[in-house]
Amino acid sequence: MRSLTRGHVKAGFDSVRGAKWRNFWTMLGIIIGVASVITIVSIGEGVKQQISQQINHVGKNVITVRPGTIRTNSTQSKSDFSVLSGLSITGSLRDTDVKTVADNKTISASAPLAAVSTDVKGDHATFNNTFVIGTSPDLPELINQKLAYGVFLSVDDEGMNAAVLGTTIASQLFDTDVPLGHSFKIHGEEFVVRGIFDDFGSTPLSDDANYNNSIFIPYDVAQRITKNTAVVYEILAKTESASAVSPTLSSLQKSIKKNHGDQNDFSVLRAEQSLAARSNVLSLLTNLISGVAAISLLVGGIGIMNVMLVSVAERMHEIGIRKAIGATNRQIMSQFMIESSLLSLSGGVIGVIVALIFDGLMRFFTNLRPVISWQVVLLAFGVSLAVGIIFGTIPALKAARKDPIEALRSQL
Amino acid sequence: MALIELNEVSKVYGFGDASTLALDEATLTIEKGEFVAIMGPSGSGKSTLMNVIGLLDRPSHGKFSLDGRNVAKLRPNQSAKVRRDTIGFIFQSFNLLPRLSVLENVALPLAYRGVSLSKRLKQASNMLERVGIQNREYFLPSQLSGGQAQCAAIARALVNNPKLIIADEPTGNLDSAASRLVMELLAEIHKTGNTILFVTHNPELTRYATRVVYMHDGCIIHDEKTALGQVAATARKVLYTLSTTTEDDDLAGVSALMMALPNKPTVRPARKPTKRRTAKPTVRRKSKTAKAAK
Repeated sequence: MRSLTRGHVKAGFDSVRGAKWRNFWTMLGIIIGVASVITIVSIGEGVKQQISQQINHVGKNVITVRPGTIRTNSTQSKSDFSVLSGLSITGSLRDTDVKTVADNKTISASAPLAAVSTDVKGDHATFNNTFVIGTSPDLPELINQKLAYGVFLSVDDEGMNAAVLGTTIASQLFDTDVPLGHSFKIHGEEFVVRGIFDDFGSTPLSDDANYNNSIFIPYDVAQRITKNTAVVYEILAKTESASAVSPTLSSLQKSIKKNHGDQNDFSVLRAEQSLAARSNVLSLLTNLISGVAAISLLVGGIGIMNVMLVSVAERMHEIGIRKAIGATNRQIMSQFMIESSLLSLSGGVIGVIVALIFDGLMRFFTNLRPVISWQVVLLAFGVSLAVGIIFGTIPALKAARKDPIEALRSQL
Repeated sequence: MALIELNEVSKVYGFGDASTLALDEATLTIEKGEFVAIMGPSGSGKSTLMNVIGLLDRPSHGKFSLDGRNVAKLRPNQSAKVRRDTIGFIFQSFNLLPRLSVLENVALPLAYRGVSLSKRLKQASNMLERVGIQNREYFLPSQLSGGQAQCAAIARALVNNPKLIIADEPTGNLDSAASRLVMELLAEIHKTGNTILFVTHNPELTRYATRVVYMHDGCIIHDEKTALGQVAATARKVLYTLSTTTEDDDLAGVSALMMALPNKPTVRPARKPTKRRTAKPTVRRKSKTAKAAK
């Protein structure tokens, strides 16, 4: 029986190879399905890994204060959708909140992040929509980021037009490699470059701006040039020790609530929480898109069924011959099942290869780092095999149940 | 015990008004080692008889035992196994699988039996040697001549060592030289003790048979033993006294054989017999030339 199966596998390969183009079009559904499922899952997986790296990067005892309420798993949200809506900002953070956080006794370092949307004028060109962030001298410590050149803003710089640049914007603004001491214009005011950050790890798909493309200026300067309209979208704070995080969290919660007139329109989050909210949304999106991609697998399966039905009709005479020389119904059935499984499995293999190519392209052209795990690949093979078996059953049954005389009589 | 015992076997196709009686209470006993030719005009039920005996078709009524086993009501899978183990088929149009090599074609019945790959290829190769086309092992069927293809088909029929070989017009698609080759081969197989059943339109080929069965309208109307090497008595009538049919007969689809059947009044055309030739091609050629003349 084993040797017969081998014969069927060989015959299946022959027939797949025999009608190359027709079979390619048939497999296309499976190829697209498998490739898109793997690509999407791998992007999701890659982003999750990058996020968890960020947690380690930021440090466990960093507290994030954000406007709006963000529900995370720790508050037992009823459905994933509340996470999506939770991310929309409903409240705002004020100057007083920045002070409250900074004045808290257990907090050793804190930095507001205030966005200033404005034009930036460099040596040659004007950049609009550059992300200018008003912040405090503690920022490098809070986000564990070193400077490549120069120094970060210090306490002495408060009120001064000093700036620190991300690597990307630094090379775009100036001709020189290390533009320390050079000046450029924000909001019509002259700013002097104090330092340049090391390359930030990428922040893919996150709601944070890309820091490599950001300009950091003192917080009070940011409020001054925008006439106090710079939006504080986040306050980072660090406690002295990890054990102080929980009490600090609740005391911050209380004091900011007082500032906001007893309204809970803000969130005080641990490092894990603030990132978990993001990865929840991400897994939801990944699941949704994979679901859509899985539908194309289904469509591909139907395509395979159609081609197998045609193939059975075309090869009716062959079925008759095989039956006449003693093939049982089961043997005929297994022959066609093996053929359809081979068809969809080769679709799966090509799909995996396409996904690998996509993966390479994405790594090359974007800051995404998709991770194709062997489980996903195995699952893709399993699913495509299952599609072949499920959708191969009807044509195979049709072939197996054919009356031998009728089959023999049907000439091409 | 007889190899084949048919007792009032009937086969009805279709239902109600559209039903046709393809086999009408045929009773036939064939002993082991017989070489039986079955003759009869088109639509006389020869092929149906072959299909029933070959277990490709189930009789509607009647008893049928093959090699002592009642096989009239076998399930499809059981009859497939009986076909595989006891019957070898040879068809008019060879019916080799076009995508497999000659060797793989011959080895196929063994595969369905579960013989290992190396073993079955070896057996198939031996069988091809026996039919004399071992040098064509790796050819595709399309690369063979008709005679060679039929030899390969015979090898395939023989490879499972069947007790019974059923050949439905084995020489129908072959020229006379290839026909001879194929029939000599069948005769040789018969000498080794096999039972062979074959359908033919060619009275000349009854030389190879030990027994000739004539059919008409689903009935077995005549059954005679004949000596090897001699044309059967009834068939000889067709061959020597009726060289051809009239044009009207051709149009009506009446063959010479039908008119020569013993219990039918024969209408003889007033024509002299010309050369000795095979019946069927002659009829075709004549009618064509007759039409061309018009």
